[in-house]
Amino acid sequence: MTSFIRRNRTLLLIIAIVIVIFGGTIRTMEPKVWVSIMLSGLTLASLYFLVASGLSLIFGLMDVLNFAHGVLFVLGAYVGLSTFLNPRLFFNTLPVFFMLIAAVMMAQHLGRAFWPHVNSKRRQHLANIVLLLAAGSILYLALRGFPIRALNAFNITAVGGAVTTANAQEPMAMMFRRLLLVALAGVPIGILLSPRERQEEVPLRPIWQTALISGSAAVIGIVLLLVRDTGEIWMLALSPDFRFLLAIIMGTIAGALGGVAIETGLIRPFYGNPVTQLVLTLGLSIAGIDLIEAVFGEEANPPMPPPTLFGQSCRSDTFINWFSEHCQSVDVLGRAFPTYRLFIIVVGVVVFAAVGLMLRRTRLGMIIRAGVQDSEMVQALGINVRRIFTLVFALGSGLAAMGGVIAAPYLGVFPGMGAIFQLQAFIAVVIGGMGSFIGAAVGTIILGMARAFGDHFVAAGIHLPFLDAVVKGSPAIARASTVLIMALVLLIKPSGIFGKKE
Amino acid sequence: MAPSQKNVLEVRNIQTFIGQFHILDGVSVEVPDGSITVLLGRNGAGKTTTLKSILGLTPPRSGAIVFNGKEIQGEPAFRTAAKGIGYVPEHRAIFRDLSVAENLRIAERKSGDLARREEFIFGLFPDLKRLIKLPGGNLSGGQQQMLAVARALVPDNQLLLIDEPSEGLAPVVIEQMMEAISRLSAHTTILLVEQNFIMASRLADRYTIIETGRSVKSGMMADLIDDEASIQRYLGAAA
Amino acid sequence: MNETLSTTTHSSARRRLAQWWPYLLILGLLVLFPLLAGATIGDPAAAQDGAGLSSLMQRAESGAAKFWQGMIIQILIFAIFAMSYDLLLGYTGILSFGHAMFFGTGGYAMAILIGRNFNWSFGMALLAVILIALAQSLIFGVLSLRVKGVYLAMVTLAFAEMFYILAEAGDFRKYTGADDGLHGFPVPGWLSATDHRTRFYYLTLIFFVAAFLIIKRLVDSPTGKVMVATRENEHRATMIGFNTFWYKLTAFVAAGVFAALAGALSAMYLVSVTPSMLSLGRTIDVLAMTIIGGMGTLVGPILGASIIQLLGYWLERWFGASWTLVYGILFMLIVIFLPYGIVGTLRARSFQIRDGWKQLQQTLAGK
Repeated sequence: MTSFIRRNRTLLLIIAIVIVIFGGTIRTMEPKVWVSIMLSGLTLASLYFLVASGLSLIFGLMDVLNFAHGVLFVLGAYVGLSTFLNPRLFFNTLPVFFMLIAAVMMAQHLGRAFWPHVNSKRRQHLANIVLLLAAGSILYLALRGFPIRALNAFNITAVGGAVTTANAQEPMAMMFRRLLLVALAGVPIGILLSPRERQEEVPLRPIWQTALISGSAAVIGIVLLLVRDTGEIWMLALSPDFRFLLAIIMGTIAGALGGVAIETGLIRPFYGNPVTQLVLTLGLSIAGIDLIEAVFGEEANPPMPPPTLFGQSCRSDTFINWFSEHCQSVDVLGRAFPTYRLFIIVVGVVVFAAVGLMLRRTRLGMIIRAGVQDSEMVQALGINVRRIFTLVFALGSGLAAMGGVIAAPYLGVFPGMGAIFQLQAFIAVVIGGMGSFIGAAVGTIILGMARAFGDHFVAAGIHLPFLDAVVKGSPAIARASTVLIMALVLLIKPSGIFGKKE
Repeated sequence: MAPSQKNVLEVRNIQTFIGQFHILDGVSVEVPDGSITVLLGRNGAGKTTTLKSILGLTPPRSGAIVFNGKEIQGEPAFRTAAKGIGYVPEHRAIFRDLSVAENLRIAERKSGDLARREEFIFGLFPDLKRLIKLPGGNLSGGQQQMLAVARALVPDNQLLLIDEPSEGLAPVVIEQMMEAISRLSAHTTILLVEQNFIMASRLADRYTIIETGRSVKSGMMADLIDDEASIQRYLGAAA
Repeated sequence: MNETLSTTTHSSARRRLAQWWPYLLILGLLVLFPLLAGATIGDPAAAQDGAGLSSLMQRAESGAAKFWQGMIIQILIFAIFAMSYDLLLGYTGILSFGHAMFFGTGGYAMAILIGRNFNWSFGMALLAVILIALAQSLIFGVLSLRVKGVYLAMVTLAFAEMFYILAEAGDFRKYTGADDGLHGFPVPGWLSATDHRTRFYYLTLIFFVAAFLIIKRLVDSPTGKVMVATRENEHRATMIGFNTFWYKLTAFVAAGVFAALAGALSAMYLVSVTPSMLSLGRTIDVLAMTIIGGMGTLVGPILGASIIQLLGYWLERWFGASWTLVYGILFMLIVIFLPYGIVGTLRARSFQIRDGWKQLQQTLAGK
């Protein structure tokens, strides 16, 4: 017990401070008020946590500060929104992605044969540039004039109003031409991405396995394209709850794949050169958001309708009743609280528990924890750390994207949403200690609470202890408060509450 | 330990750069099967880098490293290690947040490795059994060093690379560590880096002296002990 | 004896000239630019009276000549900003993501102080900008230099974000104009960039040259050497006996002051300040300039500022609204293919070339 106190004294200190401050303010409020403020805080904390946990794990394990994490959040939100409301987008774009992936995988075998012939550094450089130019120009040809805006214009709020599916989709023949070109573009990309030095040598699968996998990817893509009309009708006829689940899954997968792409394309070639990695993710954070704007439009989408599970316009008296009534709000000590926000909290808790268990109880988790401390030593034990890196990057990115999907019904979907969450996640991670999973959770809860109480403070004013007058703040001060908290924590403990790395 | 025995490891004239710094400029080492070979030399001579180069953590730019008759230079460290090379780095790089049990379990290459070797490991280091649940960071320096060696014993390793096992330890603990290493050598081949010449001379069968990134002399330890001139020249007052 | 002395001084002067002539050449071109531009791309109709110099000056105030002077003014302002950033990143090895904080604060301080609320003179406001920047960089330097590396990046990022939020906040609308920013504050007539573009051009040029000389003096001084040593290996610098904290703080403060000056100039030139001056986007701009040009040099950031400014202009003309996408992709490609920036890569090349020459000579000499 004493050793527990000794080891966690900073934590206990902070908790004590928080209790004193909160206690002072809470004392003057009615319980129903502060309980609902706390629930709002937890809702925010849950969303922050989904972004921050991945950020923290990625930094802890590979010392990469991923500035593109917010992009993945936005990506998740848009993919989720489209899966939920506009499936035709996927029937028309997924085939292109599947084809590209299939071609890239096959071309890696070509690359294996190609690179040994390029022996001098200068020629490799030249080959890189030529391949990149080839890939870029073929991709440009393949995607030129793709009616992405029309496919996205599914509701009347879109610029130009709704475009019917029949008008938005391109003729089948055109689509097949695009698929062919995309497959061609995949060849130089695959060669570019294939390992070239012995040091990085990863045994490729036998060629028949690759052929099988990439072949089936291509077939799935083509089938999706062929059934696009009936597929859209079938999808939209599904129950909204099921579609919402599908949206979460699709969003998470998209995020994870995005993470893998970032890791393999921008991070892995530059280990040992952290500034380049950082600057590349920064560049991606600009270009990625622009790309999302180009695909999905710049204008903000209204909040996605929550699934019917949380959508009945009524108010349940208790949580138990909600299970049968599916009301949009539930009575918490006499105040209505949206049930969807409770769902967000539940998702956060479940993710925390699941990832926490994974880290504590599985071999993979053990390796990740070890890698956070000393990835070189993990490597020296015969474990392929690079593969773990990719995995963790995918995991963190997937979680951020999942956060984007579940934030969509709560906040709406707009290109700038990622930057906000990314900054808060950064602050939370610094507060909690970079590389610490628990730290990310604690940091996000502190931030969520600060924001929720701050917003309340702005709206209603607050009785500070020892002061008679009601003090009112401004929204800006509520927003800036998180930075002040961070500055305070850093003054006490520069590595954050749970941080060990300096 | 007849020198005619086959070499488990042969390092042939490797050149290693870290960044733009030329750290190793022609190191050759032979490690016969079943022997304890020690790398001697002054601070900063390149002993640690030699071990890291063998493992592939700092891959050599040229030269050859032959393990069990196969060239392994240029392969990533995890694959080299998986071929049967255990590494005990300097400064006892155990995982401080993992428990002792986890520190051992993470080294398993096949499930069941630990169960098979448990008796042997705890026979060598009985202390660890008592501490099995503690986080590695709570162990004392000597215990951490034992854990680091024990970790390398979990999988079936044919060769152990041990870097400065006696560094910063109390004399009693050094004695224990030497005892353990000499008992280990009955099972595996060991390539040791050791500053403490007395310890090195008692443990090792063979030696290689490295000076400013070059291997300058090697042979049987028994011969070096009597060779005052060489000791004076290469190792200075250390002896 | 006397002769040798005179030859050595002579040769050192020559060496100095050899070292400085590219700078002098560029400076000369920059000084003559308004006249040259007036003569070539200025609007001939703008020259109402007289001939020679005064007519040239009038033509320089018109048409494309005026426009390109404006472009160079912005390049020079960003070059000051980028050099100050390089003092942190390239010379001292401090990765700050909050440098826009100083740029924006400088701009806002200038705009507010010469604005209607205070009505200060330009000189007083400029002095105040410097003092504010000193105080600001001291406070935030002391706070953020407690941590290192990525932590410092995030901490500075958050501090800058705080200023951004405050600038955007409605509470101080009277002073900051909230999210609209301030526009059309009374810049003294004699310094108006719309009426006296050439005059403003020379003012910026003077600021730029002064900033360049001062920063160059700083990085060449013993203090600068310790900064570089801190970047290379802070632990070792501490071991030798330097209190690296003070050297880092010096760099931080100097960088903050020059960034604030750049911000103030920018406010004067555009006659507007907006919260975006304080945003992460602005820091990314200056980071991009420094890295693309080549960090750890002074020429690099200047080159980078020119390239980014011109690239932005042309990309916007070619690609319209989606130019930032192209910009982002180009930026990443440059970082991938020129990891040491343009100047750094060129220098590495010139080393290679020189090495090659040496080898060739040795082969020819039969060695």
